[in-house]
Amino acid sequence: MTPDGLLLAALPEHLLLLGILAILTIDLVSSRPRDPFMPALITVLAAGAAAFSLHTAGHAGAPFPGHFSVDADAFAAKTLLFGLAVPVLFLARAERFDGRFAMLLLASLYGAGLLLSADSLVMLFFGLELLSLPLYALVVLTFRRPESAEAALKYLVLGGVGTAVLLMGVSLTLGATGGLTVDDFRAALASGDVLARGAVVLVVAAFMLKAAIVPFHAWAPDAYEGASVPATAFMATIVKAAVVLALVRLFGPAGAGPGLVAVLIALPLLSMVWGNLAAMRQQGFRRLIAYSSIAHAGYLFLALLGLPDARFEAMAFYVLVYGLTTLLALACLPSGEDWLRDRLNSLKGLYHRDPRAAILIAVAMLSLAGIPPFPGFVAKFLIFRTVMDAGLVAVAVIGLIASYLGIYLYLRVIQYMFMNPAASHPRTEPASGHAAAAALLLVAAVVLVGVFPGVVLGWL
Amino acid sequence: MSEIIAVNLLLFLPVLGGVLLLALPERRPDMVRGLSLLVLTAQLVLAAWLYLQFEAGVPGLQFETRIPWIPAWGVHYHVGLDGLNLLLVLLTAFLGPLVVAGAFTSTTRDVKLFHGMVLFLQFTMLGTFLAQDLFLFYLFWEAMLIPMFLIIGIWGGERRIYATLKFFLYTAFGSILMLAAVIYLAFTVLAQDGTPSFAFTDLYDLGLAVDVQLLLLAAFALSFAIKVPMVPLHTWLPDAHVEAPTAGSVILAGVLLKMGTYGFLKLGFPLFPDAAQLATPLIMTLAVLSIIYGAGLALVQDDIKKIIAYSSVSHLGYVMLGLVSYSLLGVQGAIIQMVSHGLVAGGLFLMVGMIYERCHSRDLAAYGGFAKLLPVYSVFLMLLTLAAIGLPTTSGFTGEFLVLLGAFHAAWPQFEQGITYPLALASAAVLGIVLGALYMLRLVRRLLFGGPRAPEADGGVLRDLSLREMGILGALVAAIFYIGLFPNGFLQKTEQAVIEYQQRVLPAQGGEDRQ
Repeated sequence: MTPDGLLLAALPEHLLLLGILAILTIDLVSSRPRDPFMPALITVLAAGAAAFSLHTAGHAGAPFPGHFSVDADAFAAKTLLFGLAVPVLFLARAERFDGRFAMLLLASLYGAGLLLSADSLVMLFFGLELLSLPLYALVVLTFRRPESAEAALKYLVLGGVGTAVLLMGVSLTLGATGGLTVDDFRAALASGDVLARGAVVLVVAAFMLKAAIVPFHAWAPDAYEGASVPATAFMATIVKAAVVLALVRLFGPAGAGPGLVAVLIALPLLSMVWGNLAAMRQQGFRRLIAYSSIAHAGYLFLALLGLPDARFEAMAFYVLVYGLTTLLALACLPSGEDWLRDRLNSLKGLYHRDPRAAILIAVAMLSLAGIPPFPGFVAKFLIFRTVMDAGLVAVAVIGLIASYLGIYLYLRVIQYMFMNPAASHPRTEPASGHAAAAALLLVAAVVLVGVFPGVVLGWL
Repeated sequence: MSEIIAVNLLLFLPVLGGVLLLALPERRPDMVRGLSLLVLTAQLVLAAWLYLQFEAGVPGLQFETRIPWIPAWGVHYHVGLDGLNLLLVLLTAFLGPLVVAGAFTSTTRDVKLFHGMVLFLQFTMLGTFLAQDLFLFYLFWEAMLIPMFLIIGIWGGERRIYATLKFFLYTAFGSILMLAAVIYLAFTVLAQDGTPSFAFTDLYDLGLAVDVQLLLLAAFALSFAIKVPMVPLHTWLPDAHVEAPTAGSVILAGVLLKMGTYGFLKLGFPLFPDAAQLATPLIMTLAVLSIIYGAGLALVQDDIKKIIAYSSVSHLGYVMLGLVSYSLLGVQGAIIQMVSHGLVAGGLFLMVGMIYERCHSRDLAAYGGFAKLLPVYSVFLMLLTLAAIGLPTTSGFTGEFLVLLGAFHAAWPQFEQGITYPLALASAAVLGIVLGALYMLRLVRRLLFGGPRAPEADGGVLRDLSLREMGILGALVAAIFYIGLFPNGFLQKTEQAVIEYQQRVLPAQGGEDRQ
């Protein structure tokens, strides 16, 4: 590996690091607080563009053999994540936004980059921690209501449990296979040995906790509710995407062993059913998104059962569509007092106050529900196609029926916006300029993905 | 070549209209209405021209477009006309401008969104009929739910939210299982041919095992039967109709329900012919049950909209009966009956809407003596009633007569072999006509005769039909009688496609033998 190749392979991460340093320097040098929006945006755009062009150029390599390597899938995943981070930045700009927020966001993205290139369980651990640690601070950073502190604490404690479980799994892998590389983990996947099985289950459970799969989901509604809208958006889309894409990379060409298959069927199906059912009863928009994201994590984990060469494509496409539409819904929320804009009741009659926002949220909801012609349908189709392709027809049918449960909750949001008279004196206003810019970006992306899914699928 | 462009233009005109609509100011509802009417009239002109260009007796699709859309999965943008969808496309295009014209005075709230939704509906319905690729078909099939959900939910009556959710959740449930079957079919094609494809023609040749066929047919049939709707899956229909605004009811009865029967005709039976043969007794029984049960329920309703809603259940039972007769006349009759029901039920719902607009009541007991109060209205109601009952020279007669003829033709040879139930069912279906006459005459007697009676109208004056309303109903009545008097042209254009349908569904029996 030449120094040049070494630099190129980790270029997106290097750019992120540069950005963090730049913002830090500006904050140190400047006498009064500076708006870190432009440097942060340029950093994320540069990292995304680097990942995109390296993917297109077909670059691959292992600058730190055994720890960090890149291939087409890794670059594709990084492009998706950094791309999704752009609207999050716009959303953050629309809220309270300062150097700390920007640095934490970029640091978390750096962690996602490491996670998606990890070749050893040590690097995997680093990546996952670097992804998660800034989040605890992000949740509490926009401290506006008492719930934020509580949410951050709950998130921190459960995140800590996840870390412990992962470490336990990693040490069991070492015990069972004598190594800490990804290949050792894959060997453990295939092995029927009790120790190896335990190791695999613990590692997968840690990932399930981070992605909020039932029964490891309890932190998500509270954390989403307590955090500010941009932090919620970041957790619900980018973190979830990073975790599932890292897991599919970790599995690599290996299939799930017999014991794990049962876990990978039962828990995701449970997530879909429980997430959808619980979401129906929510009165807060972010809690609804949280439960909906629990259900969507279910679809994603179900796709892990698919054949190795198909499941990355299915999951990446799903993550992209899910991320775009969830962000779109959050970007279009009317602005105002934090607790007020979070209430579903505030959405009543939104169509008459702000028709554009109402229509865009409706599009996001229908896409999340998987109703054509919106891209969520193609994504859902791809997931269940992958599952059925693996010979699990019955699982796919049950999954489809479970996904049917979700339709009602998204329709309820539409009902509130279009069919109910306006809530009395709603003190919310149309979304602010930066949020509108985010929405515009997202709509363009949703239309592109919706009309030409073939192009996106061809690229992945 | 120009026909191919016309087919695509026909499909995408509403989308174009919708985009133009966005640019119009919300404060000028007259402009919004005018634009929608213009777009839909242009669409009707295109559809009529295509109908005239369509050549009878030519096998397969005409004016076909096939462009790769998602190449990795073998999904194509694939549309075209054949004898099965030709008349339904014409019907959809015909009802479009009438629906918009009918809503001139009845829909005054959120006019822009309303017309956007009507255009969206028109796009998805035409797409469903024109699609020749299963993925595309499913896309349109399901997308259609969204505008209908909003139309009932926003402009509907008191219990609109309940009705609209019931409508959406019922139909979406069927669609979910159909989606599983669609994905399964896609795999089977890939396994057999080595290349992915969703083209109907590729799927027709799969030659699946009977048990697989039965499962897949069940998934498709559930979705289609809910949409038709067949007893016992019909319960969403009265609720949806009663709560829907007039335009919603007209589109629902006029076109949406036909998507279910069209689904059976184009996909359900030809894709799974062996399973269809096994399921025929069940489907036939449910069809006759729908005819009689729907008519019976229509007989005891006091809500005018419910009478027409239940009569739809009954009339579509005839369509299903015709389809499973697998005879040339029966299937052609079923197609005519689909068109006829679209015109008649659409017209009746429009007439209910007109009177509701004036007096704000749908209660049969509140009205009487229209023959004196509203003479023009009464004449049109009589004419539509004649067609609903199926009196000769109306389209209703052509449809029901051919269906029953086909059913008897199919039943008789079996009767001679000692199988009696088809004949018994066909005979029972005739009862539906008698019941149909009863409930329609009850409606007419209550509305037209007796002492002049109507709830307080706006401004105290009960106006008879305006010129606009006469124009709408006049167009419908003209179409009904045209089909009744000159059905031959329609039959010629559908004949070849129906023969192909027979050959797919009855391969062993050499389809054509069955007249």
